[in-house]
Amino acid sequence: MSEDPRTIIQRWLSAEGYIVVGRSVERADSLDKALGLAKFVEDFFEEGYLLARVAISRVPHARILNIDTEPALRIPGILKVLTYLDVPGENQVGYAIPDQPLLAEGKVRYFGEPLAIVVGRDPDALARAVEEVRPRYEPLPALLDPLEAMERTDVLVHEEFGSNVAFRTRVRKGNVEEGFSKADVVVENTYRTHHQEHLYLEPEAALAIPDLENRVTVLATIQYPHLGQKIIAKVLGLPAGMVKVVAPYIGGGFGGKDDEGPLVAARAALAAYHLRRPVLLFYTREDSIQIHPKREATVIRYKSGATRDGKLMAIDVTIIHDTGAYANRGPFILWRATMHASGPYVVPHAKIDGYCVYTNKVPQGSFRGFGNPSIQFAAEAQMDLLAEELGMDPVEFRLLNMLRPGSTTLTDQVLTSSVGVHEALRKLADYSGWWVKRRQYRVERTGRFRRGIGVAVAWHGNSTSRAVPDWSNAYMQVARDGSVVVYTGIVEMGQGSPSSSHRQIVAEVLGCPLEKVKIVFGTTEAPDAGATHASRGTSVGAIGILVAAGRIRSRLESFLSEYFNVPLEGIQIRDGKVYVRGEPKMSWEELVTLAYSRGVDLSSTGYFFLPKGTFQEDIGRGFAYPAYSFIAVVTEVEVDTYTGRVRVLRVYPALAAGRIINPEAVKTQIEGAVIQGLGYTLMERLIFDHNGRIVNDNLTDYVIPTSLDVPEIEETIFVEDLWEYGPLGAKGVGEMALIPMPASIANAVSHAIGIRVTELPLTPEKVYSLVKHLER
Amino acid sequence: MRVSFRLNGSWVSVDVEPGEILLDTLRLRLGIRSVKRGCERGECGVCTVLLNGEPVVSCLLLTAQVDSMEVTTVEGLGSDPLFKDLAEEFARRFSIQCGYCTPAILLTTYAYIRKVYEGKRKASVEEIVKAIEGNLCRCGTYPRVVRAVVNTLSRLTTAP
Repeated sequence: MSEDPRTIIQRWLSAEGYIVVGRSVERADSLDKALGLAKFVEDFFEEGYLLARVAISRVPHARILNIDTEPALRIPGILKVLTYLDVPGENQVGYAIPDQPLLAEGKVRYFGEPLAIVVGRDPDALARAVEEVRPRYEPLPALLDPLEAMERTDVLVHEEFGSNVAFRTRVRKGNVEEGFSKADVVVENTYRTHHQEHLYLEPEAALAIPDLENRVTVLATIQYPHLGQKIIAKVLGLPAGMVKVVAPYIGGGFGGKDDEGPLVAARAALAAYHLRRPVLLFYTREDSIQIHPKREATVIRYKSGATRDGKLMAIDVTIIHDTGAYANRGPFILWRATMHASGPYVVPHAKIDGYCVYTNKVPQGSFRGFGNPSIQFAAEAQMDLLAEELGMDPVEFRLLNMLRPGSTTLTDQVLTSSVGVHEALRKLADYSGWWVKRRQYRVERTGRFRRGIGVAVAWHGNSTSRAVPDWSNAYMQVARDGSVVVYTGIVEMGQGSPSSSHRQIVAEVLGCPLEKVKIVFGTTEAPDAGATHASRGTSVGAIGILVAAGRIRSRLESFLSEYFNVPLEGIQIRDGKVYVRGEPKMSWEELVTLAYSRGVDLSSTGYFFLPKGTFQEDIGRGFAYPAYSFIAVVTEVEVDTYTGRVRVLRVYPALAAGRIINPEAVKTQIEGAVIQGLGYTLMERLIFDHNGRIVNDNLTDYVIPTSLDVPEIEETIFVEDLWEYGPLGAKGVGEMALIPMPASIANAVSHAIGIRVTELPLTPEKVYSLVKHLER
Repeated sequence: MRVSFRLNGSWVSVDVEPGEILLDTLRLRLGIRSVKRGCERGECGVCTVLLNGEPVVSCLLLTAQVDSMEVTTVEGLGSDPLFKDLAEEFARRFSIQCGYCTPAILLTTYAYIRKVYEGKRKASVEEIVKAIEGNLCRCGTYPRVVRAVVNTLSRLTTAP
C-alpha cells in the first residue's frame, strides 16, 4: 500500500490503459448552465441585501487633499461612503510590490483608480452617488508614455521608489558579441503591442455576508479564493480563518479576475464589515473596463543572428512593459516574457533586458498568455526574417533550431523529456498543406485580394516560475452510498477542469462510476491548491486530486487483498466493479459499504509539493518552470489591398501538452483562445486620451469577435509528450492557443503583402497604410 | 406603476418604477436568474429574453413596454421538447464554456430554429452565424453553437 505522492503519480502515469481518461466525456455542468440553474455571484442576491459600487478617480495623477463624501451621502437611499480612512487593517494590496492601496490614499495614479465605496439600496441612487464623491486634488503631471517615464525622475508615479522603473529582468548567456560575430545574417526590429481588455461577459462582483458561520463569507468573481481570503483578512485586520471565500460559477476570467477578484472581494467585505449586512458590490461594464488591469502594452527591440547553415546564434532583446500605475502582477509578467524571449529554440548566446515601467494608466495585468503572446510575436517575426535572409523555408529553419528532449533552454534549463514540439510542427506542416501553399501564395501575390500563410510556434512554462513554492492539494471523501466528493480550490470559469478532467481522473483512479463523482470547487473550505491561472487548473490542480484518489484506491486494494486472501496483483477495481483474479465480485457501492464496516479510511488529502531547481536572477539562468507546454499554429489569411482588411480564413493548431484527458474539452480551449487571439491581433485595442482615460469603455467602441469573425478552425493535432509529475502526464492547455496567434496571423499577413508588420493590432487602417503603395 | 404580463406561461403583476428596465424587473423582482447583466446598453446580448417569441435584449426595454405581452426565459422552457433537445445538443457538442451567455444564446437559437421549422424553410450555416451575431461569447463557443443548431435542425427535419 502506498501513500507516497510520487509513487502514486508514477503508477498512474504508466498505467497500461485508461477507461475514462482520453475520452470526450460530456462536462458535468453543461445542462445546469443551459437551463439557467448554474448560479453566478449576482444570482445569489436576495431582497433586502444592500448594493455597492466603486467611485473612481477621474484624473490621471494628483495628490489627494481630501475627499468630500457629504454630497453623495445626501442622496436618498445612500447609506455609507467608505474611503481609505475606513480600512481597519492594512490598506495595501500590491501582489508583486507593496505599492497599491485598496482605496486611493495620498495620491491617485490613474483615471479609474478606486477612490471610495458607495453603499445604498437602489442602483439608480448608487449611479448618482458615485459621481458625487468629490475629491479635492492638487494636480500632478501625468506620464502616459513608458519610454518617457523611464527617462524622467522629475515626475514619479511612486516617489518612494525614486524611479519609474518598477522592476528589471535580465538574461546573460554566452557572449552575444561573439555570437553575432559568428552570425552570417543579422536582423533587427522594434515591435509594439497594445493593451487588450478581457471583456468577460460577467462584470466583476462580490457578495459579502457578515456573520454567516460567525465570520465573513464572500462570494466573488475570483480565480484564487485562498488569495482573496488572505487579502480580505489583511484589509480587515482579521485572522484568515475568520474569512471564507467562495467562487461560484464565474462568467469568464482569462486572468482578469485573478488580479481584480481579490480586490473586489475585499471591497465588498469592507462594506459588509461596516454595515453589518450583506452587500453586493458590482462593477458596471464601464467600471470594469476603467478599473481592472489589462494585457501588457509593450515595446520590444529584438536583434537576432544566424549562421549560413541555419543555426540560431545570438539574440539581444530589450523588453519594455507599460505597467501602468501599479506593479500588480507586472513584474511576474515581465519575468515570464523575458524567460520565453527566445521562443522554443536553442540559442547559445543571449542578452535580454526587461523593464517594467510605471505610467499614469490602468495597471498591466494577467491575461491568457501572461506576457508571452507579445514576446512570441516579436520572436517569431524574427525567425521568419532570418529564414528569409537565409533563403530557407520558415518551418525548416524553425525545425533546425527547435528544442528537443535533452535540449537546453534560454535560461540553461535542461529539458530531459516532455518536449513534443518538433514532432508537432513537422506533423502540422504536412497537415496544413504548408509546403505547397507557402510557395503558391507567394507566386500569386497580385491583384486586390492576396493570400498568405504563416506559422508561429510557442512554448509556455506551466504554473508558477523559478523556486516560487508551488503545490497541489485536494480533499476527498467517499460517502457511505459510494458517492465521491472532492474539494478543490480550483475554480470553474469556463475552462471546465472541475467539470471534466478532475472528474475523469477521480473515476479512473478510484475505479468508481463517473456519475458518482462530485467536485466542489472554488472554495477556501478546500485545501489551498493555488490559483486557477498559468494553465494549471488541471496540470497542477489535479495532481492533488490524483494523489488523494490514489491513496484511497490503494487502501481499498490492500483491504480487498486481505479480505479475499489474494495478492495485490489479483485485485482490480474498474468502472464501478471489483474483480478478484478477473472474476467480478461486487459493485463499487458494495465495496464502499464493506469498507466502511471494516474500518477502511475513505477520506484523504493529496498534498504534493512540486520539485523545483534554483535560479540566478542576476544572470537569468537556472530552473525557470516545472514543465513546458508547446503549440504550433499555421494561419491562412486574405488581405484586401483596397481596404486593408485582413480576413483569417483557416487556422491549423498542433498541441504538445502531455496527456489529453478530454480531447473535446481541450479543443474548446484551443478554439476559444484562437478567437480571442484573433480579436487581439486584428480588432481589439484600448484607446487612451490625454488624461489616460480609456475612451472606448463599452462594446460599441471596443469591438470583440462575434460569430461573423470566426475562421475555420481545423482539428487539433495532439502530441502527447507526457510530463512526469503531471496528472497522468497532463500539462497545461488553457492559455496555449492564444500565445502564437498574433505571430501566426502577422506572419501570414507579411507573407501575403510582402511587407513585414511589426506593430499590432492589424486594423484595416494600419494594413492599408502598408499596402497603399503596392501595385494592384 | 403596475404592469401585468405573461412570464413563462403564467400571468404576473408587478409594481415597477416608470423608468425600470425589464432586466432589473426580472432579476430583482421576479427571481429570474438566467437573464444576465452584461453591459446594460444592448451590446452584448446576455440579457436576451423572448418577447412574444422574438429575441430581444431586456436591458433596452422598459418593463412598462411589455404590459400584456408574453416574456419567455429558459426557466419557462425546461419541458419544451425542442428546447430540451437543443440544450442537450449544446451539452453534447461542448458548446458551453463559462455559461454566462448560454441561456441567451439558447433563446436566440431556439427562436431561430422554430422560425425556420415553422416556415418550412431551409437553413444555411451563414444564416445561423448571422442569427447569433448579436450574442457575444468571450469564451469563443461560436463554432460549436453553430454545429449544435445545425444538428438539432437536421434531426428535427428528418424526424418522422
